Amino acid sequence: MGEKIKSFFAGLWQNIRTFFKKRVWQGFCVNVLYKKFDRYKAWIYLLPAIVLLMIFTVWPIFNTVRMSLLEGYTSMKAVRGVEFELGIGNFTRVLKYKGFINCLKNTVLLTVLTVPISTFLALLIAVCLNSIKWFSRALQTIFFLPYVTNSIAIGMVFAAMFNMILGGGVRPDFVGVVNIVIEAFGGDYINWMNAGSEYWANIVVMTVYIVWNALPFKILILLGGLQSVNKQYYEAAKVDATPRWRVFTRITIPLLSPMLAYVIITGFIGGFKEYSSIVGVFGESMGPAGNHYALDTMVGFIYRAIGNQEGTASAAALILFAIILVVTMINLYVSKKKTHY
Amino acid sequence: MKVELKNLTKIFPSRNKKVGGEVVAVNDFTFTIPDGKLVGLLGPSGCGKSTTLYMISGLQKPSSGQIFFGDEDVTELTPENRGIGLVFQNYALYPHMTVKQNILFPLQNLRGEDRMPKEEMLERAYRVAKLVQIDELMDRKPSELSGGQQQRVAIARALVKMPRVLLLDEPLSNLDARLRLQTREEIRRIQKETGITTIFVTHDQEEAMSISDVIVVMKLGVVQQTGKPQQIYDDPCNLFVAKFLGTPPINVFEGEVRAEKLYIGGAAVLDVPGVEDRAVYVGIRPEGFIPDANGGLRCEVSGVDVMGRDVSIVSRHGAMLTPSVRSIVDADYKLAEGQTEVAYALKPHKVFLFAKDTEERIYFGV
Amino acid sequence: MKDNVTGSSASVKTMRERDMQKVSATQKIVKICVQVALYLFLGVMALIILFPFYWMLVSSVKTMPEYSQSIPSIIPHEWDFHNYVEVFQNEDLLLGQLFANTLFVGVVSTALSLVITVLSAFAFARLEFKGKNLLFAALLATMMIPGELFTITNFQTVHSFGWMHTFTVLIVPFLVSVFYIYLLKQNFQQVPNELYLAAKVDGTTDLKYLWKVMIPLALPTLISITILKMMGSWNSYMWPRLVANDDAHRLITNGLRTAFTSADGVTDVPLQMAAVAVVSAPLFLVFVFLRKYIMKGVSRSGIKG
Repeated sequence: MGEKIKSFFAGLWQNIRTFFKKRVWQGFCVNVLYKKFDRYKAWIYLLPAIVLLMIFTVWPIFNTVRMSLLEGYTSMKAVRGVEFELGIGNFTRVLKYKGFINCLKNTVLLTVLTVPISTFLALLIAVCLNSIKWFSRALQTIFFLPYVTNSIAIGMVFAAMFNMILGGGVRPDFVGVVNIVIEAFGGDYINWMNAGSEYWANIVVMTVYIVWNALPFKILILLGGLQSVNKQYYEAAKVDATPRWRVFTRITIPLLSPMLAYVIITGFIGGFKEYSSIVGVFGESMGPAGNHYALDTMVGFIYRAIGNQEGTASAAALILFAIILVVTMINLYVSKKKTHY
Repeated sequence: MKVELKNLTKIFPSRNKKVGGEVVAVNDFTFTIPDGKLVGLLGPSGCGKSTTLYMISGLQKPSSGQIFFGDEDVTELTPENRGIGLVFQNYALYPHMTVKQNILFPLQNLRGEDRMPKEEMLERAYRVAKLVQIDELMDRKPSELSGGQQQRVAIARALVKMPRVLLLDEPLSNLDARLRLQTREEIRRIQKETGITTIFVTHDQEEAMSISDVIVVMKLGVVQQTGKPQQIYDDPCNLFVAKFLGTPPINVFEGEVRAEKLYIGGAAVLDVPGVEDRAVYVGIRPEGFIPDANGGLRCEVSGVDVMGRDVSIVSRHGAMLTPSVRSIVDADYKLAEGQTEVAYALKPHKVFLFAKDTEERIYFGV
Repeated sequence: MKDNVTGSSASVKTMRERDMQKVSATQKIVKICVQVALYLFLGVMALIILFPFYWMLVSSVKTMPEYSQSIPSIIPHEWDFHNYVEVFQNEDLLLGQLFANTLFVGVVSTALSLVITVLSAFAFARLEFKGKNLLFAALLATMMIPGELFTITNFQTVHSFGWMHTFTVLIVPFLVSVFYIYLLKQNFQQVPNELYLAAKVDGTTDLKYLWKVMIPLALPTLISITILKMMGSWNSYMWPRLVANDDAHRLITNGLRTAFTSADGVTDVPLQMAAVAVVSAPLFLVFVFLRKYIMKGVSRSGIKG
């Protein structure tokens, strides 16, 4: 009896196995599992990216707008259950606040100083690099070096170069290498960044550092653009005996204009987000001793408001975004009129 | 392996969103490809021949209809489960792998019972490489090969799994003229040696004619005619097929049938028994002309091309619909000096009549 | 007479030749002058670019008394490497710990980020799904928004997740970079679609195709992304300072800045410079060996870190 049942089940099992081994099982796999998976697999691949973006990118966009529109919003109060009124008070308060105006001034000043200077210098260097025969590679490498640096760390080097220590006497106890060079050319020491230094001197230090830092990227892009210009244009110009300068203004610049537009736009965007280079040179006080936050920027303002005044921070961040957007739009508009593709 | 297509239809949503609607790429394709034959799908670009090939391969799912390999319905199977080999137009060789790795790649994907030991894989790879004569090139990268060699690698990669059906998408279009001749002989030889049912797609009628056992002429998703190459050439079923096949192409005239006589440009040129009176298109193959001073078809000579074996006379006629009238005549035939007109008699079996509205063939007794 | 004629024509000829030579000679001189000027300009600029690096290295091997001389020496009198030893022993800096933290965060976040980027880029480049173009456009649009805007809320979010002062908070929020997805998608799209179809015919799964075909072909871009991402961890300053500024989790840039922010007292500049040199060294090494990839990646980005 037991044997019979055993063999019966064994036979049944065998049947089931062959049944599933054949088409049905395959059909199930192909038609149900595979097709279902096939339809949604793109979303499965995108899942981690989308989840993270939802939390750390999409939600912040909405939340920032929300916080900026709640009068005097802070997370501390929110935790305590305080109700906030809807309004644009955060924006008006930020725009009236002297500290913020100072930030805005510094940011705009540094941007309009550094972008033209660095773009012009980069263009000059790129054109020179493109027209020399030997050492081109080596020089390119040197000019790219500042890119692979830590802007805080090298900021500290610049600080050491501009630094001086004021003793009690007429002459400072110690002066940095920049002032030594100035003295060698017959000038007077300048207090670049220490206590009692003037605003313009601080700005000069930051301009030098930011330009130094911004050059490599611009040179790389512009040189790439120059090298991709079809050599035949230059040969055609040579046949027509076009003078060098005309070749530069009539052929090189127009053909390079998309890259120029690109470095100028990214330069403006980067300029409005200036922060860490100033921290690198001046430290977190963002100004010379005794005059803290003299060189504060918009990003610095936002960071200091994080964690205690979210409403203000959000309003400032949205203002920053608006400025960047407007400046980019203007840039795009101008470049559309001026660039030749 | 016999391949059977039953009412195969493929409908794409229209690319142009403003117009909307659908594009019928393949319409109700029914055809049986006999075992071990070389079949050419022939048609102008956009006629749905590549779509048909992709449906047979399983890369595209038909909107309706069925595909059978032998007696097995493979319509729902994924490409890898169909046992096919596919050679792409641009070969699609993996650029970072050597020839050997490329050929081994399909074998390495086999799972379960089909999985074979490394030695056997190599053995198979070398055997198929020898078949297509690239066994000297196994360690090269695709970029180091000529177009013809890449083509062979692609074929080897398709063959290594010993597919039931081999599919070739425009196999010769990326080769230069000399290589094309050589490669098509090669494809013919490989197909003969392996005996695998092979389907290839081409827009070049010469290519299709020269190597296929059977050709299928397609136009706008609809099959026009199927059959042996010579048979289709000699007996086209409509004007499109007649015009599509043959180099130099067929000459087309406006014509009229009156009292069982064919008139072109007012002159009677041929007896066409059994055809009622009507206006027709007349197709005449270049080799259908016989120079004959008494012939009814009188053309104005504009040039003569001597092509060694035979002579091609280019001429003009008031009723022609093709840019010129081109006839191929015996090399012994010479036009007299200053002769500006040539008269032809016609070979009845090289003359085809087509209805003006449907462009379908009108048969007449010979 | 005849001689005379030929003689004068000959002299005319030589005069013309001489003038031509003169012209070509002046052209040559101008050309050489221009080249000299170019090299002079580039040389001076290169010196200016390099000087901060030189000054950093030179200062770092000076003793404090030598550094404090009123006329600093361009070449140090004696090479004193004890600053480099001291940097690693400094109690304020804890350089070893900083290196370890930064390396850990860099490696983990780069690895995870690569996986996410590859999968997303593959979906966008090769698969068809509803709303693909819209989704991708939306992603690109977020690149316009300055990161500071996100930071305000993200700070609250990680706080409420209880992630403050952990490695998680340094890694997770920045795993997805729309820019890297964009970069890789472009690269993937250059691979002909037929390769994907061929692989399907050969019975390859998507993941195997990715691994065996797409990734090898997109390797240069992946290397670029890896380097840029690692550099990003190395250079990140503000976010780590906000959320994980404790000894156990502090990253290197932060440690460097805070360790030497003494009040207005006398900073040990040589020691500071030695620390800066040590922090910069890995970046330079990466640059020396992988310059090609960095420059390739950067020329398409413009995003630092």
